[in-house]
Amino acid sequence: MVNIAATELLVIYPLCEYAVTVEFGNSIDEGILRCVTGFNRQLLQKPFPGLYQTVSAYASLTVFFDPVIVIGQGSLPGLGCFDKVCNYLRMLNTENEMPPVDAAAEVISIPVCYGLEYGPDITELAETKKLPVVEIITLHSEATYTVFMIGFVPGFAYLGGLNPLLESPRKATPRAIVPAGSVGIAGAQTGIYPLITPGGWQLIGRTPVKLFDANRSQPSLLKAGDTVKFEPISAEEFKNYSA
Amino acid sequence: MKIRILKPGLLSTVQDMGRKNYLSDAVPFSGVMDQLSAQIANIAVGNDPGCAVSEFTQSGASFKVEEDIVLAWSGEGAYLSSGGRHLPSGRPVFVPAGAEIYLEHNPDGFRSYVAVAGGWDAPEVLGSRSTYIPAGIGGINGRALLEDDELNSSPALSPLSRQIVESLAGEGINYPNWQIAVGAFLPVDRCTIRVIPGKEFDWFDDASKQHIFTGKIAVANNSSRMGYRLQGAKMSRVRWDEMLSTAVVPGTVQVAGDGELILLMADAQTTGGYPRIAQVASVDMPLCAQLKPGDELSFCRISLKDAERLYLKQVADLDKARTGVKQKYS
Repeated sequence: MVNIAATELLVIYPLCEYAVTVEFGNSIDEGILRCVTGFNRQLLQKPFPGLYQTVSAYASLTVFFDPVIVIGQGSLPGLGCFDKVCNYLRMLNTENEMPPVDAAAEVISIPVCYGLEYGPDITELAETKKLPVVEIITLHSEATYTVFMIGFVPGFAYLGGLNPLLESPRKATPRAIVPAGSVGIAGAQTGIYPLITPGGWQLIGRTPVKLFDANRSQPSLLKAGDTVKFEPISAEEFKNYSA
Repeated sequence: MKIRILKPGLLSTVQDMGRKNYLSDAVPFSGVMDQLSAQIANIAVGNDPGCAVSEFTQSGASFKVEEDIVLAWSGEGAYLSSGGRHLPSGRPVFVPAGAEIYLEHNPDGFRSYVAVAGGWDAPEVLGSRSTYIPAGIGGINGRALLEDDELNSSPALSPLSRQIVESLAGEGINYPNWQIAVGAFLPVDRCTIRVIPGKEFDWFDDASKQHIFTGKIAVANNSSRMGYRLQGAKMSRVRWDEMLSTAVVPGTVQVAGDGELILLMADAQTTGGYPRIAQVASVDMPLCAQLKPGDELSFCRISLKDAERLYLKQVADLDKARTGVKQKYS
């Protein structure tokens, strides 16, 4: 765990007039991620007037605000909006004597039908890795994953924690259409396509679960910091699945 | 008030000021590309800033007025006319039922906005009526407008809109003698886009850093509401640090792997992994929204303080315009 307060690693830079980014490091690392999600939680519990959204990424948290409201905050020190927000974020970080620790996340289980038409790249992956397909399925479904970031398209979760044996590059030519729910591998990461989009990840399976649903109060099923496991299901279970 | 689309044109959608509260779920802002023109259209009919407008791309679209309407249009993608008569921009215009309105060629820009008194009625999805086509949400069934689509105004008129409607309603096309001119809010030179340096500005060599502020850059054909590909400036990196994906916003200028520039627009993804060489000042995003493929632009560097000051000034200027309209009807 990196204690931001102690090491004064808090780097803040302006993204634009209405957003600043706090950087916590520059690597894909669960300790850094916990700093991002911990600081995010702390900020959302104690927001400054004008704050309306935060976006967590691997090692950064971007804070969105209404400049008209922020500039009117006489109690926030600083001349411009950037200074005012920076000062608030630094103050919040210093106040925070304990390093932010996220509570043990609940494990979210996602059913996946591996192979067949649902995971068209699994056979090739098995051949490249010189492993039987069942072994690929076991390696992928026995691991516990961490959501590092939601990005790319609504609800797309970048998951870390892939068994190194399964690491594989993106496809040389991306597919024009990847079906919603497809589970893919790219480099050391695995992820699930929430919508029909083009995509270059190696597809090994598909989930019937809706990763993104605009009718839900939290439209993205997953959020940064969540813990995820995959549960293999049959093609029949996939077809009969109802949320 | 109701219209029916006769011809949808290149790309016509219902948009408002965007979807701000689901960025953490990677739901983009979306919303109107040219916030200035859209706000002027809303102000001219007495609407609240959040009312939904229709965004038309270039000329070619047309619609039929099915029920008497008071609308205002702004933006330079087209000129609006009805029955051979030019409809002036930036003012409320009464058009009686039965009239057909055409969006005619305007070489100056790319997008036009039509606001109706009360705003277009569309279900709010995730706190906004903006159409975001890739996820199929917002606007009319999450898609672009099609022939025969009907747009209704929301029946909840603001007191000011009600007054404006009452003052203009009659038999034929009618409008007041005042106008909110978009030009009053824009710099004289509309091809110079002001930017602040991006976080990774120093990842590029001196020649690139110089070229981005001196070279002529053109908007490429493969440009959309998500972003513009820019041609004419190839950036060379001196730093090859690993770039971890982090938040990006409309106006972020990224450098793709091939050294070419990408300017992110309203439908931009919420995170990106390309180095960010510059960030367009928010007040100049309306200028970018009016650029069409083939148009040239150049970037000019300003400080963050100036960008903040310009942002706040534009908000204040629009408030002044809003107050000005109110005073005419008090």
